[in-house]
Amino acid sequence: MNPQDTRAAQIFLSHHDFVKGVALKYAPWPGLMEDISQQVFLEFMAKEERWDLEHDLRPLLATMTRHVAMRLWRDRTRERPEVVQKLADHIRHLAEERETPPRYEEEVTILRSCLTKLPDKSRELIQRYYYSDLSTPEIAAQLDMKADTICRALSRVRDKLRDCIQREMNQGGAAHA
Amino acid sequence: MHEPTYDPEVLIHQYLEDQLTEAESAAFLDLLQSQPELGDRLLHQLHMDAMLSDIKGVAATPASVFQVVEGSAEQTKNAQRRFSIGNLSSVAALAACITLAATWALRFMSPASDAEATTDAVAVLARGVNLQWESESHASGSPLTPGWLRLKSGLAQIEFYQGARVTLEGPAAFQLISSSEAYCTSGKLSAHVPPQAKGFRIQTPKGTIVDLGTDFGLDLNDASSPMHVFKGEVEFHSKDLPMQSLKEGQALALSDLSRSMVADQSAFASLHDMDERTAESQRLAFEGWLSRSSLWNGDPSLLLRFDFQDSRSNRSLYNHALKASQIPAGSIVGCNWTDGRWPGKRALEFRNVSDRVRLNVPGQHAALTLSTWVRISGLDRSYNSLFMTEGYADAAAHWQITHEGKLRLGIAGKDGRPPHDYDTTAIFTPERFGQWLHLATVIDPSTQEVRHYLNGDLIAKLTRKDTFPVRLTVAELGNWNDGGRRDRVAIRHFSGVMDEFLLFNRALSEAEIARLAE
Repeated sequence: MNPQDTRAAQIFLSHHDFVKGVALKYAPWPGLMEDISQQVFLEFMAKEERWDLEHDLRPLLATMTRHVAMRLWRDRTRERPEVVQKLADHIRHLAEERETPPRYEEEVTILRSCLTKLPDKSRELIQRYYYSDLSTPEIAAQLDMKADTICRALSRVRDKLRDCIQREMNQGGAAHA
Repeated sequence: MHEPTYDPEVLIHQYLEDQLTEAESAAFLDLLQSQPELGDRLLHQLHMDAMLSDIKGVAATPASVFQVVEGSAEQTKNAQRRFSIGNLSSVAALAACITLAATWALRFMSPASDAEATTDAVAVLARGVNLQWESESHASGSPLTPGWLRLKSGLAQIEFYQGARVTLEGPAAFQLISSSEAYCTSGKLSAHVPPQAKGFRIQTPKGTIVDLGTDFGLDLNDASSPMHVFKGEVEFHSKDLPMQSLKEGQALALSDLSRSMVADQSAFASLHDMDERTAESQRLAFEGWLSRSSLWNGDPSLLLRFDFQDSRSNRSLYNHALKASQIPAGSIVGCNWTDGRWPGKRALEFRNVSDRVRLNVPGQHAALTLSTWVRISGLDRSYNSLFMTEGYADAAAHWQITHEGKLRLGIAGKDGRPPHDYDTTAIFTPERFGQWLHLATVIDPSTQEVRHYLNGDLIAKLTRKDTFPVRLTVAELGNWNDGGRRDRVAIRHFSGVMDEFLLFNRALSEAEIARLAE
């Protein structure tokens, strides 16, 4: 293995969550963030000899991620019905207009801690939906509830996690968590 | 009658699942435009959903997400379903990822070598609506090489490699010359030329239009051949007269250059029209497919029909054939659900070495027809499986595409007789990657032939060397395994998307294959 390749990959991995945050800002489409970060990784590694690995790579990675995000966004949305495209573009504009910088890196670290603090029922819901790959109708059937009720319950759990992250950040961020 | 009311929380959740219908999308857009705070809420939810899904990617078990704050390499090593750099925490994984990147770089980014594939294409047929061709037909997504496009009717959106976009309405005769030049003798077209394609030229029998970065329309089916400039500036060069420059809002009759007019954009198909007509055409195609589905399902010779319309949360493919009780559902391993041929149509994506659909088709079959819709991403492997019986012995059938792009039916030998491959010529060139293609292969004992079809057309007819029936039994779509005979199994996974798969125990006629390819 070429030591330069290894170094470049290590550096990319240390910025991986940063790339995901940028991807989410420019392509707020479900499931697209992971595809974008994988593509950015491949393009970064393909030209790694061009990069000065000793300097801050965030500006470079932000530009690369933005370009890849726009490209994949276009690919993902262009065959959708017009109204879906309009909705997607509106949401992308909302995300781009947000002035707060992406804080994905810090937040994802704190999220792990917040998950352990959830009440049992909320934790069970997250487990079923995100980790057991059950759909909302399937969870609804298991719990003898309506699918819409499950949607709302999931929203509330995500709100709780958001509040928890916010609280932890106000108290000192990931190190505190 | 009351209009339905929508709960914003449910709409947000549906967006996160990419499950909004068109009506729900329209309602959600209205709500987002009228309630700015809802946008913030959506983005918070999307952000949290992405993080929760992401954490799942690095968790070995659901429990580990909740029990461990800081993940270890040991916990992460078996988690992923597909290649994910999010999971790279061990040296081995890092090395694998670098190898992957290096391979990718070598294949796609290295300087040209003697063996490198080349293309003559200068444009792509980005979209087509109800196209009837007089010349060779082209499907949406096809790269276009220099030459004539003769349209009887329909609407074609052509994107030149230098960036210009031309929407052509039939009947039309349009010759592609280069990535920045075309010649048009008849038809109605509108062109969008972005700044990077400035200088794009369309020659006509009356003279040459040179675009300086603009939008314009041209109607050569009208006796006066009017040219309309909607935006920017266009030059018109004719042999015997000085160059004429037209600005936004101006129009000119090419048959009488002294006659100036006012530009009329409404006379030309807009991108919006194209979108609407594309959506309508796709809807009709989807409905046509749905209505034909029940007819195929009722065919007594149909052993297996996966329509790939199963729920996204489902990890099996339901067999819609009458014989479903004898041939159970296929089991999905690894593949991800993705969009199929039309909006609302689902398909399975194969891209990882583990991706496959396992199934069991008992019995031996003298006659067979295999049919599928695929979109090929690349031919990475020596043998790229479409449908392969486990192992390769005792009359097993292997339907595949070779690395060189040949469609192949391999039939293993039996009772000491050798195996035989029935190949087409190399038809899957890089130009065909990314397009939906219908493939069918027929084993016809009455004529002792193996026939291959592409998009409903017969492309190879080969004499079968043996007459024994073929064996399917345990088999896989999009992959292969040797039934545990060896420790290490050759990698033969398909790289692309599969939309539908049918298997008949009779030889379908050419007309029937053509109907499947509609």
